[in-house]
Amino acid sequence: MTGSTPGTDSSPATDGGADTPVSDADTPDEASRSTGRSDEDSRSIGRSDDRRGRLVRGTEARALQAGAIVTAALLVVVFFYPVSTVFVEAVIVDGSPTLSAFVDILSDRFYLDIFAFTAYQAALSTVLSVAIGLPAAWLLARFEFPGRRTLRSLTILPFVLPSIMVAVGFVATFGANGTLNSALAIIGLGPVELMFTLKAILIAHAFYNAPLVARIVTAAWESVDARAIETARSLGASPLRATLDVVVPQLMPAILMGSALTFIFTFASFPIVLALGGYGLATIEVFIYRQLINLNYTEAAALAIIELVISLGLLYGYLRYEDAKRISRRGVHPPPRRSLLPDRWTPKAAMTRLAIAGYAVIAAFVFLSPIVSMILASVTASDGSFTLAHYAFLLERQATGASFQVRPLGAIRNSLMFALGTLAVAVPMGVVVSVVTTRRYRGRKLVDAIAMAPLAVSGIIVGLGLLRGLVFGVEIAGWRIAVGGSLAIVAAHAVSAYPFVTRNVTPGLAAIDRSMIESARSLGATRTRTLLDIELPLVRAGVVAGAAFAVAISIGEFNSTIVLATGSGEYTMPVAIERYLGRRLGPATAMGCVLLVVTAASFVVVDRFGGDVEERGGGL
Amino acid sequence: MTNIDRRRFIRSAGAAGTAVLLAGCSAERTGNGNGDDGNGNGDDGGNGGDDGNGNGSDDGTANGDGDDEPTTLTVGTYESFLDAPSTSPGEWLKEAFEDEYDVELVWETPSNGLNNYIERSNAGSTIEADLYLGVTTDDLIRVDENADESLFAAAGEIEGAADIREQLVFDPDNRAVPFETGYISLVYDENETEAPETFEGLLADDHRGELLAQSPESQTGRAFLLHTIHTIGEEEYLDYWAELQDNDVRVLGSWSDSYAAYTEGEAPMVVSYSTDQVFANMEDADLSKHQIRFLNDQAYANPEGMARFADSEAIDLAESFMSFVLRPDVQGEIAERNVVFPATTTAELDPEYDEFAHEPPEPVTFTYDELQGNLSDWVDAWNRQFAGN
Repeated sequence: MTGSTPGTDSSPATDGGADTPVSDADTPDEASRSTGRSDEDSRSIGRSDDRRGRLVRGTEARALQAGAIVTAALLVVVFFYPVSTVFVEAVIVDGSPTLSAFVDILSDRFYLDIFAFTAYQAALSTVLSVAIGLPAAWLLARFEFPGRRTLRSLTILPFVLPSIMVAVGFVATFGANGTLNSALAIIGLGPVELMFTLKAILIAHAFYNAPLVARIVTAAWESVDARAIETARSLGASPLRATLDVVVPQLMPAILMGSALTFIFTFASFPIVLALGGYGLATIEVFIYRQLINLNYTEAAALAIIELVISLGLLYGYLRYEDAKRISRRGVHPPPRRSLLPDRWTPKAAMTRLAIAGYAVIAAFVFLSPIVSMILASVTASDGSFTLAHYAFLLERQATGASFQVRPLGAIRNSLMFALGTLAVAVPMGVVVSVVTTRRYRGRKLVDAIAMAPLAVSGIIVGLGLLRGLVFGVEIAGWRIAVGGSLAIVAAHAVSAYPFVTRNVTPGLAAIDRSMIESARSLGATRTRTLLDIELPLVRAGVVAGAAFAVAISIGEFNSTIVLATGSGEYTMPVAIERYLGRRLGPATAMGCVLLVVTAASFVVVDRFGGDVEERGGGL
Repeated sequence: MTNIDRRRFIRSAGAAGTAVLLAGCSAERTGNGNGDDGNGNGDDGGNGGDDGNGNGSDDGTANGDGDDEPTTLTVGTYESFLDAPSTSPGEWLKEAFEDEYDVELVWETPSNGLNNYIERSNAGSTIEADLYLGVTTDDLIRVDENADESLFAAAGEIEGAADIREQLVFDPDNRAVPFETGYISLVYDENETEAPETFEGLLADDHRGELLAQSPESQTGRAFLLHTIHTIGEEEYLDYWAELQDNDVRVLGSWSDSYAAYTEGEAPMVVSYSTDQVFANMEDADLSKHQIRFLNDQAYANPEGMARFADSEAIDLAESFMSFVLRPDVQGEIAERNVVFPATTTAELDPEYDEFAHEPPEPVTFTYDELQGNLSDWVDAWNRQFAGN
């Protein structure tokens, strides 16, 4: 993926292509190549290299098309077809087509109110998530301090935490006897009542989504081309004016995209709403779930389709905007980072640092405290004393658990394997979709919006679709073909994850000055080569952020995993947490901490492996 | 690595990849039931796990020819019956049954429980399980309303069935044979509040914001809602709930949500099981925080039954299993290990079991006939009122 190899040399990725005759090792050319001594042999190598060059170029030229076809096929098999088996229930009732389910819902005051409330809380959640996420991006992208890279790697850790863990952490932090109220009591304030109110839901949504906004915007900020700032300054613009004119337009797509994604996720929020808010604050997803488990498929599917249309409509609007506002850039030239501790304490520097300190306190309550509470719960006995019994439980389950029970090591191993597989599939998929949807043709943004559907269809609907479409199998010519097991799980995870890669890569890719690509093409580079050598290095920060999201999505995924697991051997860490959730919180929180540590380590590895952008970047 | 080696490696890796891909699929000839049913489990090959899931081949013999005695009994159940962090009876039951009958018992816990079998049946896909353990009255109603063909077969003459407590028998068609029951009651912290004696008492100002309940999609939440309908009346329960909502009852999503909030001291009363103190005692917790209250001296009983799948050919073995489960010693073991109450009057329970596991003076529950046709209307009406405000 680094794309550092020169154009004509064969890369391992294209070498093994079974359809190229050159790869047949029995030809004399190939035999002499491996032992090559005589002059004649060397000449034959020359001929072979010519031929190889052409073939490689031919393969490269087709690589994108092939990638697009494989991506489309995978989407159809593990997403569109399965989901359609559920959605069809909305429009075919008792064998005849009808739209009555939609008419009923849209003329039902109750459901309209629920939709309105769902949108209202999603909008507020989005505002709060952006408000908390943007300062974090600013801090991560514009300042230098020890541990900055690790902190950036860990930003999206909240993303993988199962909602029940977050709920436990939130009660411990924001509850009547929680950390916040204890802290407020010390300074003579409070108590505040947050639990079972809309506020608790909003803060929890920010816990999940502010990191999303922060990570996306950080990646964009690290890839800006800020050279124009100097030009603007020399023309007399103030530093603020110059930044607003040069940097902000380049960040806007990322900010709006983070907002759009946050809205979509919180619009479909469900377990956390019921755990922290209660049934009085039920969202539309609560009713989709309710109708689904009661097997009222017509209503469930119709509700889910309306939800999807709203989400994708919003996303489409954003994508049109992103497309219209594309700004060309020719390289990665972020402004230099400032030190967190200023060289001189000017009043301005002091104010900035004070603001950062204030933000740190808020961040500590929103992000850190729930996680710390979870860690504390994992080492607390029912009488409040310190204990390692919950971890001992994990060890014991590992050592003596029956074959049909979930064991921690197996869960860790499976989660990591699925994450690795997801990474390998989702990153190329996401990049291919980015390339396909940044080319110029009518309706490209519609394709882009539809390709984002996995973000917007509720997980429980996808789970049921996978059960019907894949696990039960399809009858073809007297055979029932069924799909399940590890590979199906990886495919399902990849389909859920690739939109994150696409969304992180597309803005950067679209912004690249087309003339650079055209020059490369005119010099004979294939489309694939141009992508690997010129475009991807310029959007490296986005690719790395997308990769981190892919890992997060895979590790946190639950619905598809349990449906596709064919035996009792394919459980993952979130499945283990759910299984260990009993009357006591200890065992599940201990497993939650294991999840936290394993995931944190994976994120650090992904970011390190992806390299630090500003050290390698530079562009042209 | 030379190029040839590299290419060979890549090619064989490709081949292995293809093989693994295929391992994720299974193809099974449909229509003719006499085929090799076992390969429905071919996907197990994709596991790469160490879980000894090789049971698939045995299924083949179990379902294949009718002549041979089946050697495997596949039993579907819910997850906590096998794998709860505290205690669960699955492992013991499997070993005890296998020892006595010299067959293999295979557990199966589909992700969406009984709905999985309804879906499977309607899709014409094979059901490998012979029996389901843990079917409730409302499960049975859902099955009957949604399965295209009959999912369960009537139980034959089950030895020990005569010992089942009469008020627990819930299936008029005798498909589901009750084997255990739980009671849903209030659990409260006596240091913080004194739980009321009656439903009416929950409306008092003293108890404003003190009760945590669950949505009707959870077992406890549904039982509590049905209890209010049973006791307060079909016509009046919505008014009662309106007052309860005015008094700040907190209806959360799952039992776990609400019990976690209760444990953190967010409210001093929670709708839960009447066996709460058994767990509290197990972990040496302070029993004053785990007091049981039976409102109106009642608790809603939630009997669970076992039923044989209509497609199962292991009829005799399934019936043997049912009698085994009803045997006095097994009834006692299951109840204690699952922390519930036995279904029979003859169960051999530890005499001290009732020290912490409390039974209500008056268990109440709706019968199948009372719930059928009403359940979804009752819950819908509640939903619209509670969430519509």
